[in-house]
Amino acid sequence: MNTNMIKWFSQSWMVVVYIFLYMPIVTLVIFSFNDSQLVTVWSHASMRWYAALMNDSDLIAAVALSLKIAFFSALISVFFGVFTAFCLNRYKRFSGRTLLSSMATTPLVMPDVIVGLSLLLMLVSMQHWLGYPERGLFTILLGHALLGTAYATVVVTSRLREMDGKLDEAAMDLGCQPFQVFRLVTLPLLLPALVSAFLLTFTLSFDDVVLSSFLSGPGYSTMPMVIFSRARLGLNPTINAVATVTIVVVTFAVIASSFYTSHQERKRRREVAQAYSDTNK
Amino acid sequence: MNKFTNYMRSFFNGRHVVIGVPYLWFLMLALVPLLIVLKISVSEMESTSVSSMISWSEGWPAIKLNFASYVFIGSDELYVQTYLSSLKYALLTTVICLSIGYPFAYFMARAPKHLQPMLLMLIMLPFWTSFLLRIYAWKTLLVNNGVINNVLMSLGVIDAPMEMMNTPFSLMVGMVYSYLPFMILPLYANLSKLDMRYLEAAADLGASPFKAFWLITVPLSKAGIIAGSMLVFIPAVGEYVIPELLGGPDTLMIGRVLWDEFFSNNDWPMASAVAVVMILLIMLPMAIYNKYQSEQAELKS
Amino acid sequence: MAIAPKANIVREDLLRVEGVTKIFDGVVKAVDNVSLTVAIGEIFALLGGSGCGKSTLLRMLAGFEAPSKGKIFLAGEDITNLPPYQRPINMMFQSYALFPHLTVWENIAFGLRRDHMPKEQIVERVESMLSLVQLTKYAKRKPHQLSGGQQQRVALARSLAKRPKLLLLDEPLGALDKKLRETTQLELVNIIEEVGVTCVLVTHDQEEAMTMASRIAVMSEGYFLQVGSPDEIYEMPNSRQVADFIGNVNIFDGVVEEDESDHVTVRCNDCLHYVGHGISGNSGMSVGVALRPEKILLTKEKPTGEYNWCEGEVTEIAYFGAYTTYHLKLNSGKVIKAQELNNTRDLSCGLTWGDRAFAQWSDLAMVVLTQ
Repeated sequence: MNTNMIKWFSQSWMVVVYIFLYMPIVTLVIFSFNDSQLVTVWSHASMRWYAALMNDSDLIAAVALSLKIAFFSALISVFFGVFTAFCLNRYKRFSGRTLLSSMATTPLVMPDVIVGLSLLLMLVSMQHWLGYPERGLFTILLGHALLGTAYATVVVTSRLREMDGKLDEAAMDLGCQPFQVFRLVTLPLLLPALVSAFLLTFTLSFDDVVLSSFLSGPGYSTMPMVIFSRARLGLNPTINAVATVTIVVVTFAVIASSFYTSHQERKRRREVAQAYSDTNK
Repeated sequence: MNKFTNYMRSFFNGRHVVIGVPYLWFLMLALVPLLIVLKISVSEMESTSVSSMISWSEGWPAIKLNFASYVFIGSDELYVQTYLSSLKYALLTTVICLSIGYPFAYFMARAPKHLQPMLLMLIMLPFWTSFLLRIYAWKTLLVNNGVINNVLMSLGVIDAPMEMMNTPFSLMVGMVYSYLPFMILPLYANLSKLDMRYLEAAADLGASPFKAFWLITVPLSKAGIIAGSMLVFIPAVGEYVIPELLGGPDTLMIGRVLWDEFFSNNDWPMASAVAVVMILLIMLPMAIYNKYQSEQAELKS
Repeated sequence: MAIAPKANIVREDLLRVEGVTKIFDGVVKAVDNVSLTVAIGEIFALLGGSGCGKSTLLRMLAGFEAPSKGKIFLAGEDITNLPPYQRPINMMFQSYALFPHLTVWENIAFGLRRDHMPKEQIVERVESMLSLVQLTKYAKRKPHQLSGGQQQRVALARSLAKRPKLLLLDEPLGALDKKLRETTQLELVNIIEEVGVTCVLVTHDQEEAMTMASRIAVMSEGYFLQVGSPDEIYEMPNSRQVADFIGNVNIFDGVVEEDESDHVTVRCNDCLHYVGHGISGNSGMSVGVALRPEKILLTKEKPTGEYNWCEGEVTEIAYFGAYTTYHLKLNSGKVIKAQELNNTRDLSCGLTWGDRAFAQWSDLAMVVLTQ
């Protein structure tokens, strides 16, 4: 095989995989502008399903609930994730370290159905003994926060690992007590990781259907739960419209943030190069 | 000296709080719930609640274990079949993801450097949009009067719609589609770090490109292959949403059985026992993976 | 610069380390019963290869590691158990550990702010530090916007800002390339002397230790092999290990024949050494005779004397520009190195591969090593 053929083959392989990944998303978007009641048969373009979306009070309420849960569960996840990552990274030896690290990975490897089932059974037993909590927003939040903490821990840990441990020592050497070290050095340097952990856990929560189904009570349906119950019954054009809206929002957010980070990176590289050429003059 | 004891006290207290917070959080939400599942799996279902495991007879606690659920799982053909077919579908998903994802990650790692961040972002982008919506999208593509059939029929490729939805085929499409990025990302991370000088050295020593690939690239990317396979296989075993939306009634997956035992039959001990067996099934590859990792760590040190 | 004023100044100890031992994991002795004193104004170097315990010792001085045994005193006060943030000691870290999220100015002010120093004083101190290291116009920059040499000076300014009693330097020039290192070495010593701060410096680079320090401790496997001024360590090594570690050396094994108070003779395979000083030993004792390559003179003619020469064949010639190193294979098969200064442009002694040559040296060129 000559190099041209290899190049041709590799490029077409990649193109086919990208088509496979994007075909469903593109079809969703296209058919959201379809006028027909039949989702899959094109009649002509219209905004009909977007109008229907505006009047779909169930779905709107579900979106609001999902946003609320996603926001708070992301906050809680980042909070506990920082604690966990910090413990696992900075305290190399304490009794039960292995237990903590395996408990923190459990939600990552367990299927959602098991996490949901076990949390629900725990909450039911708790309610049995304490009369609290009622199933609803709080219990869903707890489940999402558990899953989110596990993911946030991974994100923060990888940042902590590449951070220079000498910086902590330098701060201590210059007079910082342990908590000041954390506040003045570790936390500011973790900030980018905290932002990405927040975004990731927000998305996870906003996307989850299994945990929510186990943990929600009457009257609390998240957006994925509503979509799931409609999708189970069959095809429904309002789902296409919802999908298009979320895809547009997410795509813009992701593209904007990646432009921002690559811009920062380029700026940084320019400055480093500048610093070196300055001194070599 | 007084200063020192103060310092030690504050340090140790601070440290205990810092460790205690995540510890309590995970104990309460990760460990205790699993223990409760274990407990309920050996209890009996009574009208509205589960029987207590410990009963008091003549002032002495008596522990009552009920293995009926486990016996039932072991003896019932359907459960055994379901576990086996879950493993089969998960394995198939892993193999297909690997055979699509490995070349892809390899080509991506060899693509021009300035294009790689964009190629990577294009893999991640679907991950940020709702998983549920993407699975739903496949439903609109695969049903009998769906987009694929309509397009193929209007082009005259086929006369009658192909039966794709609610078959093992549609299930595999959905699974591979959802898990492919999880295979590609660790493989890419591994392959992009591969030092090209190894391949140059191999070529210099007379290996053909294919030989070099098999003897150098593949062995060196073993860690990526294993990590990717784990990331696909383990969640695939317990998958619920994809078989529910794309699999139809005939594809047996254990996640759905658990869901049905719980929500339709309200049989908590049975659902718990199903979960415990599933955990055991997952722990086996996990243990192998951990062993491999600690061996690697030992080799490095 | 290399030799500290010794005799005419009354020595006042600032740092005293008494029998400090550090054991890791209950078995590994990183530092083994080390004692030392450092006088005010001294620059003291801990020199050794990697894993010799020098960094562990430095980290114990800074307070990042607690000694398993022993005590550390600073200006008479026991600081063994003081945490790093309460010690009047500051450190310049290896690869600097500058806070990447703070500007040069904020990095230097960081330690002062922790002491709740009034604002005007902080401004004043930081400005004076900036002018000391000549970085005033870079105050607003972040560390990544500086070159390696500039980062090093920021690190120095940051560690000096609090006016520590003791300054610790951890491989201060390790992150710089060779050419920059030489100029920076002098700059660093000048600044330290200008401030007058006492220093303990850790390095694996003997040249760095020799040029910067007034005293050097050569470390190996957790203990001190020898402590002394750079010239003492180089010219009067007390053991084969030190002689071997510092610079190049030829060691002849032999037996003491004559043992007088003003000289000794040592019989070796290839020659007889006449050493112009007495040793603490007796005749019949087996010793090593250390001879530095630059103290050997190579000639084509056979020397006339009885002592201090040997004959061999030139097997290697390595040209270094300023000098040339010759390998001479002696009759016993032993290979010695000799360095000849290239003080004319015709490459000195005219020896080439395979030539027979004679090596000779004076009776004060070598050191007898009894251990």
